[in-house]
Amino acid sequence: MSGVPARITLAEWDERYTELSAGGMEEPTYGGPLRRHVEDGDLRLVTLRYDNSPASLRLWNFLLTEEDRLHQARTLGKKIVGTMKDLGTVPVMAYSLANLVAFYPDGAWWIPCLMELSAGLLGVADSLGIDESFCPVRAMLGAFLTGAHFPIPDLLICSVGATCDDFSAIAQRLNGLGYPIMWWEIPARRQPEPDEEAVELPGGFTAPQSQVTFVQSELERVRHALETVAGRRLDDRALSAGIKAANRVRRRLTELRRLVFTAETCPLPALEMLIAEMLAIHFCSDREETIAVLDDLLAEVRSRVERHDGVLSKDAVRVFWVNPVADLRAMNLLEECGGRVCGSEYLFCHAIDEIPEDLPPMDALARMALADPMVGPAADRAERIWYDIRRFRAEALVISRIPGASHCATEGMIIGDIVRSRRGIPVLEIEVPPVCDSMESTLRTRIEALIETVIERRKR
Amino acid sequence: MRRWAVAHGGERDIAVMKTVVYSCPFVPAEWIAAHGMHPRRIVPDAAQNGATLTGPAIGICPYARAFANDVCAETAADAVVLTTVCDQMRRASELIARNCDLPVFLMHVPSTWQTVGAHELYMSELERLGRFLVRLEGRAPAPDDLAEVMRDYGARRWDLRSARGTVSPGRYAELIARFHQDGTVDLADSDSGYLASGVPLALVGGPLMRHHFALFDLVESAGGHVVLDGTSTGERTMPARFDTRQLADAPLVMLADAYFGAIPDAFRRPNSDLYEWLKTEMTERAVRGIILWRHVWCDTWHAEVERMREWAPVPVLAVDADEQPIDRQTASRIQSFVEVLR
Repeated sequence: MSGVPARITLAEWDERYTELSAGGMEEPTYGGPLRRHVEDGDLRLVTLRYDNSPASLRLWNFLLTEEDRLHQARTLGKKIVGTMKDLGTVPVMAYSLANLVAFYPDGAWWIPCLMELSAGLLGVADSLGIDESFCPVRAMLGAFLTGAHFPIPDLLICSVGATCDDFSAIAQRLNGLGYPIMWWEIPARRQPEPDEEAVELPGGFTAPQSQVTFVQSELERVRHALETVAGRRLDDRALSAGIKAANRVRRRLTELRRLVFTAETCPLPALEMLIAEMLAIHFCSDREETIAVLDDLLAEVRSRVERHDGVLSKDAVRVFWVNPVADLRAMNLLEECGGRVCGSEYLFCHAIDEIPEDLPPMDALARMALADPMVGPAADRAERIWYDIRRFRAEALVISRIPGASHCATEGMIIGDIVRSRRGIPVLEIEVPPVCDSMESTLRTRIEALIETVIERRKR
Repeated sequence: MRRWAVAHGGERDIAVMKTVVYSCPFVPAEWIAAHGMHPRRIVPDAAQNGATLTGPAIGICPYARAFANDVCAETAADAVVLTTVCDQMRRASELIARNCDLPVFLMHVPSTWQTVGAHELYMSELERLGRFLVRLEGRAPAPDDLAEVMRDYGARRWDLRSARGTVSPGRYAELIARFHQDGTVDLADSDSGYLASGVPLALVGGPLMRHHFALFDLVESAGGHVVLDGTSTGERTMPARFDTRQLADAPLVMLADAYFGAIPDAFRRPNSDLYEWLKTEMTERAVRGIILWRHVWCDTWHAEVERMREWAPVPVLAVDADEQPIDRQTASRIQSFVEVLR
């Protein structure tokens, strides 16, 4: 049923969908043609290029129906937890209770892209004094005030401390508008001093035991808040089961990344990989369905790898990509310029690393929270990127700046310097706004120059 | 020769002491001094040191850049302390470490403050700072020694507080900066017979750079008067007074409470204490307008602009600052603001 792998337009998906349906394709309840999402306002879909497999169709439909799932959860009497900024830790806890559903309101940062600014969320943020000098996550404010994109959560939990100022400031603005927020502290991760007990974190970073202990105490406060809203206890047994379930997602993503990034021919486009990785942070509001979606993708990718089949030329330049893009179109652009993504660090690698199952669950979760690449030095992040560049044999590095984000002001310099000094691979720093059409020619030129540089280097 | 009260009841010549530079108000000068070192809180001067840190300027807070440049150009410093109250300053610690040889200490100042855990974390960070200073050949102070330094600072800070209203706002800001710089409170050459006049204003926001101190005179020449300096370099960030009767019991705890437990700031979560402080002080000083001062790319203060407008019972003028001196347009806006309030 899969046919020849290809990147296709939305119009081509219309035809493909008809063919697949006629061929007996089975879909989950949220299935259907991608076109219907355009009719719902996701205008950007018209300009994107997609993988043509049923597995990818399922992935897209799963992503684009999350709002429906959240409303349905509320209808079913579940409590909704809006968890902000930590990207991966609190949802593991929340999904350990059957009557909680957690999601990241931060995800609203893609609404201006998907709806091509038609939702007016950035305008709402502007009116609240949160203008374009802030990260596009400011769209979250508009989503809260309009109430048009997700149900207002029963509980809001936000990590602060060693986080970007944009998000912290925007969350404070939200709080000032009357939305109660439970704040928890994540300290700046540091190296243990010579006389301090050191702890290894998932992903390979280290931290002092004292920081792990502190974060654990903060997560205990989170646990209490979750228990209060759920009206039931969240004991260690339930947490351990939640960690095991999260690890099922993480193991699948790790394998998917390994297969896709190391394959001779790229078996799955960068855009679908970005979205698949995104599922790790809060399971797109349905943990079990996330596993099913990833299983489909894995089966498709395995099949393509075995057939030495893929969606791009074998010669595509292997690029490591840093930071998520505000406009999904940028991932297509890389491939149109002759590149492919072989390695990524989209700010949440800690949500893909397995959580230790041989530790008390709160200890394990605290370690995971501290493994967040954003709470430590940029040099740590660069080390991890460097490790993956070697592992996936990337030939170039793209650092995608997030407009206005406080961490992007300087971290690109540090990451770029470290990677250049180690391997001498070309590094390109670009900035991608929520809708990059007006900048596309500039972005294209810059990415093409990077690709050409790598191709020249191959000849040496 | 300037002398500095240090632990163990003595005084030492600043010139022979190691100097620790910093800019964050949550770093207690007393703690550094008690280790036998000279705490010097920098007011960056973008005009003096411009180009140590190069690279794209987009998105970089001009204050963070100027501070990093000042530190890297600094020849008299032996160490630098930065904190996490601002993400850009947190990250500037890495840039400084990569661009100069000074030992760099990054201190985590919790954003949260309503829990015992946050206070304990701040305390533990002070203790860690202490160990860092000892590694730099500082002396770990006994509680009595710390208490003595705190008494000394408290007395001088009392003098400083007493000077408010007796000197011009610009002069008062200079006195505070000087106190942070070298610990002295020199009122000898202060303006005599100063009489406050003009529209009473609050200046609120992030830290001032050296060339921004002209702001006070600018306001005054426009017919205004800064009666409340709520910038991060002003009186807002002075720690609470030490209770000298209880100082001997647990001086480090008292020090932590006076700083972390008392300084209101926009970065705190929630930052309701800032608004409570403003409400009290503005009422007491009959403030009729607020100038909200923020650096370009400073998200923390930028996000407070509209909120403050919604909250404040008086008009709010938001002013963006960068590495340049106050320009004609900004001056004109301030003049118009004061004129309207007259």
